[in-house]
Amino acid sequence: MTGAVDYRALQRLIDDRPDEGLFRVHRAVFDDPGVFDLEMQRIFAGGWVFLGLSCQAPAPHDFFTTMIGRVPVLVTRDGDGRLHGLVNSCPHKGARVAQLRSGNSRLHVCPYHSWSFDSAGRNKAIKWKSGGCYPQGFAALGQDLPALPAFGDYRGFLFGSLTAAVPPIEDHLGGAARLLDLVADQSADGFELVPGSVTFTYDANWKLQLENCSDAYHFTSAHPSYIRILENRREGGNTDAVKSIWEETDYWTGEYGGSEIQGGSYSFANGHVLNWGRFGITPAHPLFDRHEELLARVGPAQMAWMFNMRNLTIFPNLQIAENASSQLRVIRPIAANRTEMRTWCIAPKGESAPARSHRIRQYEDFFNPSGMATPDDTVAYEACQRGFASRVEPWLQGYMRGTARSAAGGNTLSDAIDMTAQRSVLADAQTCDETLYHSYYREWARRMSAVEGGPA
Amino acid sequence: MSLSLTRAAAEDLLYREALYLDTRRWDEWLALYLPDATFHVPAWRDETSQTQDPETELSLVWYKGRANLEDRVWRARSGLSLASSPLPRVVHLIANVVVEDAQVEAGTGVVGSAFTVHLHDPRAERTHAFFGRYRHVLVEHDGAWRIAAKTVHLLNDVIPTVIDFHSL
Repeated sequence: MTGAVDYRALQRLIDDRPDEGLFRVHRAVFDDPGVFDLEMQRIFAGGWVFLGLSCQAPAPHDFFTTMIGRVPVLVTRDGDGRLHGLVNSCPHKGARVAQLRSGNSRLHVCPYHSWSFDSAGRNKAIKWKSGGCYPQGFAALGQDLPALPAFGDYRGFLFGSLTAAVPPIEDHLGGAARLLDLVADQSADGFELVPGSVTFTYDANWKLQLENCSDAYHFTSAHPSYIRILENRREGGNTDAVKSIWEETDYWTGEYGGSEIQGGSYSFANGHVLNWGRFGITPAHPLFDRHEELLARVGPAQMAWMFNMRNLTIFPNLQIAENASSQLRVIRPIAANRTEMRTWCIAPKGESAPARSHRIRQYEDFFNPSGMATPDDTVAYEACQRGFASRVEPWLQGYMRGTARSAAGGNTLSDAIDMTAQRSVLADAQTCDETLYHSYYREWARRMSAVEGGPA
Repeated sequence: MSLSLTRAAAEDLLYREALYLDTRRWDEWLALYLPDATFHVPAWRDETSQTQDPETELSLVWYKGRANLEDRVWRARSGLSLASSPLPRVVHLIANVVVEDAQVEAGTGVVGSAFTVHLHDPRAERTHAFFGRYRHVLVEHDGAWRIAAKTVHLLNDVIPTVIDFHSL
């Protein structure tokens, strides 16, 4: 799908009728290879993409590698401590220069013909340059590793863009930046990744992961085995197990008769969303043993939000899920029907040994592909992908729960942390808002249908 | 009188464990483990090293106590887990069995081995293999060897959608 693409036609894959409250998504959005190629171009190569954390390269000459869509990226800290986002491809023959996921190197030497680059990406040497009989204009072409056209650092969350036509990263994040603050401020010392990462793939579209993180509706349907095991543990059936936050909450049980506000959603500009739930300040939460310190340092509103369940998506590829534990996920689309997930346990620095251990145990139980919850999600994504093949009724209806409760702007809860939102929903246990997905697909449609050369 | 672990005895236990997993005789599989057994599948820190300390580093699986494995068996049988319905067909192949020379207390032995688990997932119509090394700590209990600790060093750790106890 290059050349004569009618970009505006892509907008018609989203049936968005706000006046009637109807919102549907066409199945082609998930399974059409042509749509996927355009997503690579217009979403992953056409705007801000999450790269990683500055704490993944803490010392001079530290580096880590990642991808923006299909493009390999090198993030490196130079000798002066400044971070650089570079395209990880040699200007000579295109070879990927840095091969490892992370490391420390003053010099990155291309493995193919030994062109070398310092930790700021500057070309240091071209093998046998003087004997190379280069043409006069060669030096003027520049032989550094190309810098990403845009590179942004919001409180240690690093973003890059393959196009320079992006707003400042703070503007891109908008009100959702307050939610990254809630991650960053859990310790006065900042945050870190627990050593060890877990990578898995699934044979379905990347946007299913985008949606599932925001999906309150699936929990009791997809995870009854996990819920039953927790109930058994609560009744003392397995005293070996670590206590789970889910045991301590009525969030998903509907015991409040479906009337009390148990959580909700916020939608932000540029495709970011939050699905949240009220957990309360419970001993099962890894932050519990520092709640007094948090109260004194960040105040009651921020602290209450830190104890809430928060499933955050920064469009298009970053998710931070703080529920049973705390997970950083990076979504990498591989094909319309294949996705790779790289996942880490993100945690406040300096937490007590029992709190850290507790956080890790809950993480493994809930989030791992070897755990008891995530596999029941990813297998469901694959079931969706199979079903998407149908065009008998091409429109999907999973985007309308909560419509009657969706309000413009934020509410008193978001006001309490100075968080501005485009829309919000306050939900009881059975509302399970689906209107937050509108933010994903309105941004998707905006980016996919923008006319070439026109405003992004 | 304490037994001293021979390779034949170690192989017998490892092969029976494989058979019980392959044939879904999971109650017999659980019975090979002591009640306070540990079960560890470390994650990878980077390309070359695995995590070691489950208290401060992430694992794919870390269980202290057989009751956690019993939970997993319950889940796989429950009919309430989409990822377990239908179950994959698996066969464990174990080789290169070595009883470590290190002097350990009588009635205890440490066994290293290499494994391949071939797996066919009829739900996804997908076939693949997991491979790596096992390290079993065996303890003599009522005249038989039982598992006090098992570590699974999984080498191909980009997980195709799901990995569970029966495929490790």
